[in-house]
Amino acid sequence: MRVDALLNESSAAPDAARWRWLSYGYALLVAIGVAYFLLDLPIQVTDCYGNMVKAAKGTLAELVSGEFHQQSYLRPIGWAQLRILLDVSGGRYFEWFRGWHVAQIVVLFVLFLRLIRPRSLAGAAVVPLGLAALIGIHTFAGTVRESFPVNMFLMVLICSFAAADLALGPPRLWRDVAAALLFVFATLSVESGILVAVVFVAAFMVGARGVSRVGVAMQVLLVIGYLVLRFSILHIGSPGLEERTSGFGFSRLDPSALIEKFGTHPLPFYAYNVASSLLSIVLSEPREGVWVATRDVLRGDVRVFQIFNIVASALGTALIVRYLWRRRREWLAFRFDRSDQLVFIFLAMAGANATVSYAYTKDMILATAGAFYAAALAVAARDFIESMSGLSMARAIAPMLFLVLLSSAWALRAVNAHMGLRIAAVKVRTEWAYVDSWLERNPEVLSEPGAGEMKRHLQEDAVRKHPLRPRLAGRWVEWFND
Amino acid sequence: MTDTRSTMVLAVGVAAPIVLATIAVLAFSGLEIAGHTPSAIGPPRNIAEAVGMGSPSEVLRLLDFGEDPNRVLPVRREIISSAIMRVTALEAAVWSHHREMMELLDHRRAIVDADTRRHLICLTKDVGDADILAYLSGGREVECEHGRALALVEERSKKREQDR
Repeated sequence: MRVDALLNESSAAPDAARWRWLSYGYALLVAIGVAYFLLDLPIQVTDCYGNMVKAAKGTLAELVSGEFHQQSYLRPIGWAQLRILLDVSGGRYFEWFRGWHVAQIVVLFVLFLRLIRPRSLAGAAVVPLGLAALIGIHTFAGTVRESFPVNMFLMVLICSFAAADLALGPPRLWRDVAAALLFVFATLSVESGILVAVVFVAAFMVGARGVSRVGVAMQVLLVIGYLVLRFSILHIGSPGLEERTSGFGFSRLDPSALIEKFGTHPLPFYAYNVASSLLSIVLSEPREGVWVATRDVLRGDVRVFQIFNIVASALGTALIVRYLWRRRREWLAFRFDRSDQLVFIFLAMAGANATVSYAYTKDMILATAGAFYAAALAVAARDFIESMSGLSMARAIAPMLFLVLLSSAWALRAVNAHMGLRIAAVKVRTEWAYVDSWLERNPEVLSEPGAGEMKRHLQEDAVRKHPLRPRLAGRWVEWFND
Repeated sequence: MTDTRSTMVLAVGVAAPIVLATIAVLAFSGLEIAGHTPSAIGPPRNIAEAVGMGSPSEVLRLLDFGEDPNRVLPVRREIISSAIMRVTALEAAVWSHHREMMELLDHRRAIVDADTRRHLICLTKDVGDADILAYLSGGREVECEHGRALALVEERSKKREQDR
């Protein structure tokens, strides 16, 4: 029979390369889709225009050294990236910053595929699911819908995947050096870069020796060094309760309400944030500390995207839990294969990412755990398929329906990611149309040299050079209005 | 590992919905590049439509291209309503229910004289938008004949339909 012939043929050794290239080809298509929507997104007014004005001032060295004397943040390398790109762009800001963003996405996809290694039919079949989870999970949205104008959270995802790739590879001295450089680069780009160390330590704990014992010890020393530098030497603190509104229960509390409620005893609030963050990673609810979907269900006002978000996460998490259960004996005996190591890194990352969100939980801060969730889901789905390979066709129907439901829910989330970019593109252009009102509220930006010229340039990019694409209409559009 | 039929079935089950979604995204992108955005009412045909659609960036762009916000222009029925199909951009701003839109036009000196402002105030009273009314009137009381400004705009639209 032709099917049997095809199946036998597909088991041949050279097939590994075929499945790998098929996976990379598919990832390229996904990247093209994301890039198309990303290239419709102008540089923002908030968090971008002001940053660009600031970065353009003085020399690169002055900018970087100034970042060591901030009150709440320590991001000198992040600012250096912004300045370098600004200088290299030669005034073609939109092309360079958006082009950089697209390049980051491509690198992220390549690293993702290197981690999950699709080398079989089952391995290649879960690539669409893995990539859909990677871009469709709510924690990813902020890495593409926003920028500063270099998205440092996306940079941390790349660094974390690169860290896992280093750790899971064969032992080499250069990997130890690269691991240390990667940590410094990520941590001084944005605070959550510290999670890179979690990848190295977690991987080492489950037998990955790409980075040696000395290399991992170096990571621990670097973490200690970073904390000492930040808190004891530079006296750069963390944002306190008084700086941001935060989700709690069914609503968001402004700083004064937070201080009134938790001012003298913030520990319960911190515990709430950690627990909320963990649940958010595995269930997509609550979101940024607010039980939005639950609230809307109670009000009888649940929306379509809320349903598929939670269904996708619940089924995906169920698959990961099943994987853990099936592998429990090997794990208890400390026998870990590459798939186990990836899943363990996800678990460690989820715990660490939730912990660093203790003061303030936000979807984007959880981006690293969300990205490793996608990798763990791909591993668990592959294991699910491989474990069912002996089933008769009749008995394969129920698991297949489960996979179709899981995959459909993540497909909707992936579409939602693109829709979110389109909605963000409308919002950013609206910001530029009303930029004069924004400047009335932030007059200090215009007082900087070159600010007026940069405003004119960026507004020209957003409004005239890259005009708004036709706005989508129809009931189905509302399904995706996350 | 030999791939069995059940592996193949499960592989298709897990991949197919997402691959189809990816194809849909790429097809959408391709169609849009070709100038046919699916499920969209298309780009605004003039500045009045841009205002009615609540697209301030398009308004800004069209103003820079020299479109006159005081000129009565045809707008499609889905933009505001089937009763309002010939308006100026300023009048359309009343139906946008966005004070910022009116401010944007005003900052661009679109409200050329006191009569235009008065007409807009009366129209805003008829349509009902306290925020825009407060902006246009600056808190001053302006006497309007109830329903007259709205009737004027509706009459214009009816005339257009009859002319067809």
